[in-house]
Amino acid sequence: MKLRIALAGNANVGKSSLFNYLTDLHQHVGNWPGKTVEKIEGVLDFKGVKMNIVDLPGIYSLSTFSLEELISRDYISKEKPDVVINVVDASVLERNLFFSLQLLELGAPVVIALNMVDAAREKGMGVNAKKLSALLGVPVIPIVATTGDGVGKLMRAVINTSKKKQKPSSISYQKQMEADVSQVKKEIKGLKMDYPSRWIAIKLLEDDGNVLELVKEQRPKAIEKIQKIRKGMEKRCGQKGSVAVSSERYSAAERIALECITLRDVKVPLRQKLDALLLHKYVGYVFLLAVAGIVFFSIFSVGDILSGYLMESLEGAKALARTSAGEGVLQEILVGGVLEGVLAGIAIALPYLIPFYILLAILEDSGYLARMAFLMDAIMHKIGLHGKAFIPIILAYGCNVPGCVGCKILETQRARLLTAFIVTLVPCAAVSVVIMGLVATYVGLEWALFLYALNLAVILILGRIGCKALPGEPVGLIMEMPSYKVPMPKNIFMQAWRELHSFVFMAFPIIIGATFLIKIIEVMGWLSPISDALSPITVGWLGLPAIVGITLIFGILRKELALIMLAALLGTGVFSEVLTPVQMITFAIVTMFYVPCAATIAVLNKEHGWKVAVGISAFEIVFAIVLAGIVSRILSTYFFLA
Amino acid sequence: MLGAPNIRMATKRTPEMEEYLELLVRYKEAEKQPKVTMLGKDLKLSAASVSEMLQKLKKKGFVDYEKYGEIKLTKKGEKIGNEILRKHRFIERFLMRIGVKKNKAHKEACALEHVLSDDVEDALRKAMHSAGAPDIEGKHIKRLVDLKKGQKGRIMLVSGGREVCRRLTDMGLTPGTKIMLSRASTKLGAIEVCIRSSCLAIGRGLAEKILVKVD
Repeated sequence: MKLRIALAGNANVGKSSLFNYLTDLHQHVGNWPGKTVEKIEGVLDFKGVKMNIVDLPGIYSLSTFSLEELISRDYISKEKPDVVINVVDASVLERNLFFSLQLLELGAPVVIALNMVDAAREKGMGVNAKKLSALLGVPVIPIVATTGDGVGKLMRAVINTSKKKQKPSSISYQKQMEADVSQVKKEIKGLKMDYPSRWIAIKLLEDDGNVLELVKEQRPKAIEKIQKIRKGMEKRCGQKGSVAVSSERYSAAERIALECITLRDVKVPLRQKLDALLLHKYVGYVFLLAVAGIVFFSIFSVGDILSGYLMESLEGAKALARTSAGEGVLQEILVGGVLEGVLAGIAIALPYLIPFYILLAILEDSGYLARMAFLMDAIMHKIGLHGKAFIPIILAYGCNVPGCVGCKILETQRARLLTAFIVTLVPCAAVSVVIMGLVATYVGLEWALFLYALNLAVILILGRIGCKALPGEPVGLIMEMPSYKVPMPKNIFMQAWRELHSFVFMAFPIIIGATFLIKIIEVMGWLSPISDALSPITVGWLGLPAIVGITLIFGILRKELALIMLAALLGTGVFSEVLTPVQMITFAIVTMFYVPCAATIAVLNKEHGWKVAVGISAFEIVFAIVLAGIVSRILSTYFFLA
Repeated sequence: MLGAPNIRMATKRTPEMEEYLELLVRYKEAEKQPKVTMLGKDLKLSAASVSEMLQKLKKKGFVDYEKYGEIKLTKKGEKIGNEILRKHRFIERFLMRIGVKKNKAHKEACALEHVLSDDVEDALRKAMHSAGAPDIEGKHIKRLVDLKKGQKGRIMLVSGGREVCRRLTDMGLTPGTKIMLSRASTKLGAIEVCIRSSCLAIGRGLAEKILVKVD
């Protein structure tokens, strides 16, 4: 039988390092059933004992503020893993113990992996693991996850704990609070719950809506009494229930931490010197721009080279497939559709994604990503988001796909959705090709700049509207500022690989499907009927030639295709011969906004579900047509007068 | 003896006028430029009656105001507004301290602020202090966001809705905890604090919701 192990802990404690060390390449990424949060699993064979390990999301509490917290709480209490390894950062013991205490309350069979003991020692701190183990009543094993020190001992402790099957005792609080807890426990006695009764009682005192509902279902009568006990406690403490209980739990964590931290010889760490520079109110931003520029540049230079190389070698394969498949409509659809789709995925998306994932992992692992968010907080507030949202948005200027994927660094579903929406409005490199190749070349650079400015204005306005329209409150920034670390190549490649793996499985079918569909339309000769059907919009409202309808359909695959097809269908690359300046600007505006490309829609679907993907696409089609039509009318008068 | 009603007699002002002045001082505190529409919305009155009242206040020398122009408190007006606001806040705290709910305390304070005299206010304040309640208005209590770099203190109060409180307390910002501001905010930017031997970045909006007693 396989042991089922869960890894749990705060963010930035080295949980992923331990997971990577334990499972190596035997990892599997999926989604939690019905959720958009990633579930990372792996297997390990430790001296003949087979284990299945789940890496739970990095969280600070087991309340229900975020989806991650709810998922972790449900997994631990309902799936009941055989052992929960709680990874704890030895240098931030107090905050980490706040979470450990909640795990113990949940009745989980916990083994504590006291990680980064080396870093703590460098800081001038030592933690007495034996004493900590005695105080918490669970095994505590010091480890260094990056090198694997102590991990063998940790796994032996895990196996021992799994055999014992004994529930840990939770830490008791101050007398009055304990009295309240046992009073509430009396009220809920005999109820059938997935959770231990002490934990339920504490959550009821915290006024946890979720747990309150659970109790209400089974014993509505008890609620009034429970609320009364809670109110009594609130009055005594002069604080809200959740604050009172958290305070109590934190003071227990503080007490334990103080007893176990052995030596304290605080040095001025390197981070303060680095922060003074990197978070400086002017120098910090210069550095931020430089880093963003480097990331941007390297994604595109590496992407270009990879993309060109791949295109070339894949063209050969395509030609070969064509000749071997022979002539015919069916062959044309199959070979053309499937191959074009795979080509679009491999040659367009992947070359940019691979460097992106690697650089993102480096920024995150080094601790600089958190600093970027810190610096950008004020600006992002203007569109109802906080600092962390800056990261996906800046990446979207390269490609919307990594931008959309990057939205998951935000805490709430609301913020993720709003950011994803903004990301799809950002002009990616392909849109820039259209703007530069058409408007800048044939109308003038100032008009290209006008389009970028228009885009920025649209983002600000729609961002604000979106922020007002979406239900729920915008949340402020609160995050731990991690220490700087030298990124570990292994962690970076594992993370990049996992992301890439899930992208390929999610996005490729959709990209291929879209190509396939367009190929069918093309082969069946439906292209001109469609563009005729679209002509009231393209010709009547937008004032463009009717064939633009066809090019816009191709643009859904890759936006620069809209321009390439336009040249092919107009029979010339010198657009000024066939299009007026107003038509060119109108065409560029439509291309900029009209719909996210197929790959972006695929990621939207993966991260937010099909409703959001369809909703955003539909909105942007309408929005682009309306906006472009209005701008076209205004510009017509302008150019007419000029 | 200088009670509030006596002052009112001297300057011939009505409770409505005081409401206006109090609100204008609140705007000033929040660095908001007052507008007729804003006043109308907050007082639930029509724009017409707001401008009518502003004209009256102008006649009394409490505000500078031209139709469609800027609304500005005069020194006299600001002094009265400040007094009323101080009384409002004091009454609210006092009532909450003795167990009155926040909403109720706020409503009562809105009515009582116009009749409470200065000397009774002082007497009540003294009684509250001797009962050991902290004086939130005092010099040593600041919003976390207003601390200077390197300043230390203890968290007094975390205000805001349930979710906000939860998140802040989950991250260790519980009342009574020692805290140090390690990086001050630029105009709108986030701050960084040291708390529980780790560093946290906190957005300005959240940092305004935390009151700290400075050491």
